[in-house]
Amino acid sequence: MCTSVTYLFLTITTPTFRSGVWRPLQSFLLLLLSLTRKYNSVLSATRVKGSTMGKSRQTGNHSSDKKKHIAKTWKTKRRTKDLDQIHSDMKPETAAKLLRQEVDVDVTGCAQHYCLHCARYFVDMRSMKEHFKTKVHKRRLKQLREEPYTQAEADRAAGMGSYIAAKKVEVKTQTVEEDMD
Amino acid sequence: MRIEKCYFCSGPVYPGHGVMFVRNDCKSFRFCKSKCHKNFKKKRNPRKTRWTKAFRKATGKELTVDNALEFEKRRNIPVKYNRGLWDKTVEAMKRVEEIKRKRQARFIMNRLKKGKQLEREEDISEVKKNIHLIKAPHAGKAKQMEAKMVQKLQEDVDMGAEDD
Repeated sequence: MCTSVTYLFLTITTPTFRSGVWRPLQSFLLLLLSLTRKYNSVLSATRVKGSTMGKSRQTGNHSSDKKKHIAKTWKTKRRTKDLDQIHSDMKPETAAKLLRQEVDVDVTGCAQHYCLHCARYFVDMRSMKEHFKTKVHKRRLKQLREEPYTQAEADRAAGMGSYIAAKKVEVKTQTVEEDMD
Repeated sequence: MRIEKCYFCSGPVYPGHGVMFVRNDCKSFRFCKSKCHKNFKKKRNPRKTRWTKAFRKATGKELTVDNALEFEKRRNIPVKYNRGLWDKTVEAMKRVEEIKRKRQARFIMNRLKKGKQLEREEDISEVKKNIHLIKAPHAGKAKQMEAKMVQKLQEDVDMGAEDD
């Protein structure tokens, strides 16, 4: 469809064609132009979307065995910390407590290396520092820069009072103290 | 008993409907349908999910600030039944709803006016850009040139006549 239309378009615009038959064909050409534009957009959209409907099974681009069953990670019994919980963790007193935890042998790295914003334990300082450079961590920081969503906001959105836009919060990666001993 | 609002989509949660999730820090979340609950479990942000009320308000699709929105409130003080008050309240609710609907509709119509204007501007610029398809760039130039030449020649002739 697309190629045939462009071919027509080319033949019409060639100079030999232009001289006599040109005038009455103006409107027709313009119509064709709009048509090609329309069909091009439709074609590209279908190409991106794919043909299958339903839940996407894809969990990543790389062949790792880590996330085979994404539905399991959505279960409430495996629920990880929500953004509003992390926001309350970021208050200075709780943050200090979380960053200086007692040795617990059941937790990864004996609970000594904790990323506050991703709510995650690391085995050692090196891997935690590596984590700070990753996309996962930076994305999480970006998410945290917005005020957490609350039930009050849901109520306001439903028409109980005027809606108040979410405020920005400054969030930075936690500082790591270099202890040389 | 009251009609709660869904945490995710802000829709009404009628008694006996939906799901309540209580997190391990005692915070409770109400959902009007399984769709909302599932999306919550996937940790989606209601402000970024296009079909929620929160999205529509946060992105300026709907009326956000208005006095008509201030009537519906969570009132935690019980009021003793009074027939007159009840009748009046029901009447007032109907009136407020009517005004609110009108204002919201007007807001949306005003918002859409911007698109019309942009469309027109784009149409004009498209015609200007592709004018060569309709009219050849040098069409009618020859006649203008001829007129100019004639004028120049006339001037020259006049000058020659003066010199003589």
